[in-house]
Amino acid sequence: MKKFYGYRRSDGSIGVRNHVIVLNTVGELSGLTRKIAKLVSGVTPVIHYSGATNFPEDQQQILRTLVGTAGHPNVSAALIVGMKDDPVAQEIVTTLQAKNRRVHAVYFNSEKSIAAIFEECKQWLSASMDSRQYDVREEALLTELMVGLECGGSDAWSGITANPSIGAFSDMFVEDGGTSVLAETTEAIGAEHIIASNAINQAVREQFLAIVRNYEQRIKETGEDIRSANPTPGNMAGGLTTLEEKSLGCIKKGGSTSLKEVVCYSQAPTEKGFVFMDTPGYDVESVCGLAAGGAQIVLFSTGKGSPTGSPIVPVIKIGTNPKVYEIMSEHIDVNAGKIIEGVSTIEDIGKEIYSLVEAVANGHQTAAENHNNQEFAIWRLAESI
Amino acid sequence: MGYTFKGYLREDGLAGTRNHIGIVSSVICSSVITNEIADKVPGAIPITHANGCAQLGDDFQVTKNMLAGIVENPNFHSALLIGLGCETNQVAGLLKSISTTKPLEGFSIQQMAGGKNTAERGITTALTWSKEAKQSSRTELPASLLKVGIVTEDIDEASLQVIAPVINALIELLITSGATVVFGLTKTLEPAGNLLALNTQDASAKKNLTYIGEALSRRRWEKAQGYLRTNFSEQEKSLAALEYQLINTHEIQSLLDYNQKPAKNGLHLIKTSGSIVETLSNFASVGCNLSIILSKRGILTGSNALPCMIVTANNGINHTNNLVDYEIQENQISQQAQALFTQLIEVSSGKLTKLEEYELGEFAIPHIGTTF
Repeated sequence: MKKFYGYRRSDGSIGVRNHVIVLNTVGELSGLTRKIAKLVSGVTPVIHYSGATNFPEDQQQILRTLVGTAGHPNVSAALIVGMKDDPVAQEIVTTLQAKNRRVHAVYFNSEKSIAAIFEECKQWLSASMDSRQYDVREEALLTELMVGLECGGSDAWSGITANPSIGAFSDMFVEDGGTSVLAETTEAIGAEHIIASNAINQAVREQFLAIVRNYEQRIKETGEDIRSANPTPGNMAGGLTTLEEKSLGCIKKGGSTSLKEVVCYSQAPTEKGFVFMDTPGYDVESVCGLAAGGAQIVLFSTGKGSPTGSPIVPVIKIGTNPKVYEIMSEHIDVNAGKIIEGVSTIEDIGKEIYSLVEAVANGHQTAAENHNNQEFAIWRLAESI
Repeated sequence: MGYTFKGYLREDGLAGTRNHIGIVSSVICSSVITNEIADKVPGAIPITHANGCAQLGDDFQVTKNMLAGIVENPNFHSALLIGLGCETNQVAGLLKSISTTKPLEGFSIQQMAGGKNTAERGITTALTWSKEAKQSSRTELPASLLKVGIVTEDIDEASLQVIAPVINALIELLITSGATVVFGLTKTLEPAGNLLALNTQDASAKKNLTYIGEALSRRRWEKAQGYLRTNFSEQEKSLAALEYQLINTHEIQSLLDYNQKPAKNGLHLIKTSGSIVETLSNFASVGCNLSIILSKRGILTGSNALPCMIVTANNGINHTNNLVDYEIQENQISQQAQALFTQLIEVSSGKLTKLEEYELGEFAIPHIGTTF
């Protein structure tokens, strides 16, 4: 049984990183949150611009994403920045305290002055950074690891090199008892029948087909045709011609094992093995959902070279061609372009990815981490009110 | 009367109240590099956001127009666009859609072969502009060049009762000075749509305001077919009627959508978002060089592109956050309007607002469609 060394949390989950984060509940608090994160060195800001009121589908999605982020196994401690009587902040704290996680909320627009709240934040964050030293890595089973599968800035090589290599990794990883979560519903459009045919049973198959259908419908409701706007200009410069073609390459990341479960955005899977999460193709929002759903690491193939990461999970970049690896090397961890050059097979790169996943789980830093790429954005489903 | 302020006159005839170097990301993927450049250049501010890719139709157009509008805003001396390269919102396309005479350049991370090169070139370029900007000085300009965004956020009836007459008189002062006032049509003001409709000669604004005043309508793509309409409660209507008193009898020139610039001076209404940062960012994108937030309390974040003054009622609430720029008392309406106007001129001439002193300013773009 494969093992790694991670941080065991009070709720039994296991993290591969040990972040202290500060998180805002509404957009109005974004500026203060940025300043609070700077009060203590090493603290990671997680900032978004959501309005104070939203339709229920958005409110639930924002809440689920923030709870999943603050309570993520890679997070040692989370400071929540809320408003007076803030129900979102209160719910995050209640949920995480019930699991004995290290969490604290401060409330602005209350009786306390900004200076007093800043002092409170500074003390709590300093104490959290100090106590973080006592979190030590301990042996954990690889079956406790969840890896998200993402692609961004795809080109014509994505479906030939990097994505099938991620698929090869996923097959080996799932065989060893791990969980891999494929995302980006947009990029299942046109290839949905292939994933559906891999579903473990009729219910999962129908659930999967339903989210793809809903997705295309939701886009139509805005009066647009998804197939006219995707592939993006960059995709087309990279040689992709249609969304179907992009999708056929995209789903190769999922490998060939049975689809066990379909989860909504930011939702934690209950099954182990191969899982699909309903996310947009927009990379940062998708990675944000995968992380909030509990993935401790995300694999991200890129043809054009994307630097984006996550504030809480290491994102491993896999370049699809030798050229992108050469010119964007500072942002890429694995060169799947070796397959084109004939020096490696898909199987080889799959194994290389697997070794790197283990190394990253044990603490090895990714390119995105080295460059402090900590982008964060929550998928919005309706107009803000 | 001939009121004047000390501002930066741009080549296109617009006036800035600030002299920022804008470092603008075309897409979230270039935000880290954008911030890095802005950090290293004196006078530079980062315009980063969560949009720019995987957007369609009108929703994409709002993002593109918002960024073009920010660059065109006279508070910016110059602007540098930083893209990733493969995004929907291409830097080349954005450059084409920007109409300005100011120093402007743009490139992307993929084009420059990595973030390191992009940051180096960006810093070099922006530093040159930063030196130029330092040498430009404020000149005496007519108040008619002011474009003031006014919006309510977290307001209550008690505050409105106190501030409405003074703000109404302030709007009068601004309009008679030939300035432009862009007033936020907030969710709380919408139930007064029928009243607002009476203030305009513009047929389409009249029709739209009447429609807006009937029920809350916002796009929802999950279940509903198009617009969801929710009736307003009596309480909402009564709050809106009070909020309407801020404008009272002033004529409304037009009803503006996101990114839509006012075509002439005078009072205009503009669509707002549920997020104050998005609303203030939109003010900046339609050319406002200053804004006023009316609230029952100190609002905790402004825009990094334009000064935001917070105005509340002196209603006995202890404003513990020290972010309030002006507290309105009951009575002495014209004196207070004059005092507020004087403070507005001072801020336009360089005096920092409380939010600026605390360096609390952000930028964000509203969505009118879902990302894909």
